[in-house]
Amino acid sequence: MSDLDDFKATYFDECSELLNDLEEQFSAIEDGERGADRLNAVFRAIHSIKGGAGAFGFSGLVGFAHAFETLLDYVRDGRVDLTDEVVALCIRANDIVADFVAAAREGTPLDPDHGAEEKARFDALCRGEDDDMSGEPMEEFDIEFVPVMVNLGQDEPEPELATDTFDAIPFEPADGHWEIHFAPHSALYARANDPLLLFRELAVLGEISVKAVPGFVPPLADFEPFGVYCTWEITLNAKGINEGMIREVFEFVEGDCDITIAQCGPTAVLDEAGAPVVASHITDLDENDFDADMVAEAAKPAEPEAEVLSFSELAETIKPTAAARAAVAAQPEKVIQPLAESGGGEEGGHRPAGVQSIRVDLDKVDRVVNMVGELVITQSMLTQQLDDNLRARYQELVRGLEVLAQTTRGLQDAVMAIRAQPVKSVFSRMPRLVRELAGKTNKKIRLEMIGENTEIDKTIIEQLSDPLTHMIRNSADHGVETPEKRAAAGKSEHGTITLSAEQAGGNILIIVEDDGAGINRERVLDVARERGVVAPEQQLTEEQIDQLIFAPGFSTASAVSDISGRGVGMDVVLSNIKKIGGSVHVRSRTGLGTRMTLRLPLTLAVLDVMLVKVANNPYVIPLSSIVETMQCSRADFGRVPSGARVLQVRGEYVQVVDLAARFEMQSEADEKNRFVVLCEAEGSVKVALIVDEIIGQQQVVIKSLEENFERIEGIAGGTILGDGNVALIVDVQGLKTAAIHKNAA
Amino acid sequence: MEAFDLRDDLTGNSASGAANTIQFIAFSIGEQTYGVEITTVREIRAWNGATPLPNTRPFVRGVINMRGTIVPIFDLRARFGDGQTAATKNHVVVVMSVGEKWVGILVDAVSDILTVSREDIHPVPEGHSVDTELLNGIVTHESRMVGLIDLHQVVSGARLDG
Repeated sequence: MSDLDDFKATYFDECSELLNDLEEQFSAIEDGERGADRLNAVFRAIHSIKGGAGAFGFSGLVGFAHAFETLLDYVRDGRVDLTDEVVALCIRANDIVADFVAAAREGTPLDPDHGAEEKARFDALCRGEDDDMSGEPMEEFDIEFVPVMVNLGQDEPEPELATDTFDAIPFEPADGHWEIHFAPHSALYARANDPLLLFRELAVLGEISVKAVPGFVPPLADFEPFGVYCTWEITLNAKGINEGMIREVFEFVEGDCDITIAQCGPTAVLDEAGAPVVASHITDLDENDFDADMVAEAAKPAEPEAEVLSFSELAETIKPTAAARAAVAAQPEKVIQPLAESGGGEEGGHRPAGVQSIRVDLDKVDRVVNMVGELVITQSMLTQQLDDNLRARYQELVRGLEVLAQTTRGLQDAVMAIRAQPVKSVFSRMPRLVRELAGKTNKKIRLEMIGENTEIDKTIIEQLSDPLTHMIRNSADHGVETPEKRAAAGKSEHGTITLSAEQAGGNILIIVEDDGAGINRERVLDVARERGVVAPEQQLTEEQIDQLIFAPGFSTASAVSDISGRGVGMDVVLSNIKKIGGSVHVRSRTGLGTRMTLRLPLTLAVLDVMLVKVANNPYVIPLSSIVETMQCSRADFGRVPSGARVLQVRGEYVQVVDLAARFEMQSEADEKNRFVVLCEAEGSVKVALIVDEIIGQQQVVIKSLEENFERIEGIAGGTILGDGNVALIVDVQGLKTAAIHKNAA
Repeated sequence: MEAFDLRDDLTGNSASGAANTIQFIAFSIGEQTYGVEITTVREIRAWNGATPLPNTRPFVRGVINMRGTIVPIFDLRARFGDGQTAATKNHVVVVMSVGEKWVGILVDAVSDILTVSREDIHPVPEGHSVDTELLNGIVTHESRMVGLIDLHQVVSGARLDG
């Protein structure tokens, strides 16, 4: 079963990609880009979701996606106009598909009526435009399958009959009658495709009749258990379809089968009565009665009382089938287009040629990232070994090392680029959020997104979703005003939230900006005083007040809504962003809006640090947590009753942690020559670390200590320096908590 | 994991046919020789210093960089309670895998590879709990006693609060 679970996981991965893609397509469509390309892309995405859902039996999703798809198809054909109402409906339907996918993934049942309203609209829209189509099966593609016994009596070469049947068809080309010859290769079955699913898809287009045609069955010695000895003849009666639609059904198995499609005439189903081959009349058939194995089953003598034939005899019996088929294929009256040549088909033209991407386990990429990190270190170690003497003597070697240095840097960039992903994957979830928020708050909000293609490390992207959601919520709930208030303030009724991403040096800036009322500083300060976040007499600058919205347990919303206002949220933003080495800055202008800026590192694999020494051992402190550094001789220390030192910085008293003492090592440095590194831990709590020496800043690759050892208090991990030695990363937050713990004990 | 298998064998389950002999890497600490099963050994390298880890027991000498992985080094002499080794470039680190983890032990010198029949592994005599805890068994090689190290025990309890 785990195999199936794997397939499911892949399917859900693909679904989330497709849903993101859909979101993007629709926002373009909403903005007025209504080209055929867009619609086709949407259609393909929904179709893929539906296809997979069918294979896994997510019937609710299949039903809804099918109705959606039908509407899209009508829109594509121009039978339904793409009005704003239809676009809005489609966008809503998109959200519902997402709900269905989520429900299927979580295994949680959805309200049975979920999406029923939209589905009804789809049907109504389709019917409204074309009454003839009301008879088209929207839902009923449960086709009943009645297996017919195989009569392998030698006296009755059934292929003749098959040929007769085809001959009986009038060949004046007219709308609605299609002959499809479908010959799967063994690869099709190997890829776990089931012809039944394809036939069901076809049955959606119209009435179908499927006939299995056994091909050459070789003597037993040459018999391949997984070989394919059967092809299919399908007759399809449908109105208003074209070849592209039929080909689309076979889209997933293209290349794994030979397929010819020919339009014949308006007649109905083949005359089945006299066809004793493996014939099946498909009208309403039940899945359980049918699977691919049945073909093999049927190809054997099925009746116990029937004469048992050897395989060679069997082969003799059915050999003429192929000849008959060849004859059919050669019918000059038919318009036969082999699939391979139909590049100009409606769907085919847009498909990218060949494989464009592969799925790789992130672990594997990480391993490469790690090894490249080592390579960089080794390379810089080699370069350091070169003194002037050596340089003069071995010029070739030096040149080689320079090339090596360049190549390693290139390799490092390239590897980092593999992990990088466009922020689009997070951004694309936001339009839906804004739509929902606008609906709940009765506001009119437009979301503008800029720079969705900015790339950032995958691990950071994963951590970005929550903070962004909170920030957008905050902007929609507290920032943008109601249409009435906006009108009164002389602004457009539509509020705008701009979400943008850009690269600035070694950082990524993500900005959420609204054109709302701005932060009400008076109220923020009042609430902060009330909750004890700010001392009564403390004076704060405007900027400091703005920053208060990130304080834990702070909220100014007068009513707690289910959108925001519980006082959790913005502090989560701050702590999440800090955790990935970033910072948050907010700037607000009264009446004009608020801008929140997230500054994020490009990658988590590399950390900007300050290298220090404590008792002659190297330690690194993450740069993102350092506020400032100063010499001990210039620092203003005081003592508290416990004997511990505190540091006074600009009217604030900060706890002091002597790293050497804390790590139980003997520092030989003179107290005056030591340094204070003022750091900020979670929740803006500061702590002053005393170190012996500050060496400088650098970038390091984070390594786990737990991998081979265990967690150590006050240490966040290790890293390997240019000289190959290990330096430990100081865990500022951990030290702070541990220190408080010790004091309390 | 190998260490546990070994112990199982010691309790009488030694009927494993072809694999009836085990090879050990023998190394010395002072006058005494110890051994670890050869299949667990990943690398043997000269001592080149280590970055000390704060808040760990004295027998944890620190961590080293082994081709990009941070590996902790345990001072076996200190682990046996004889004080820290005054390590020089002539001392040796034996890097081994213990379960999923890689650890190094600091010893004076690596001396030999021993091939021992399973029946020749003697149980550790009851007496001092430290001995039975840290050793899996004892073998005799060239009339010298070789203690077989139980790696799981050696590397446990490294943290000060542990």
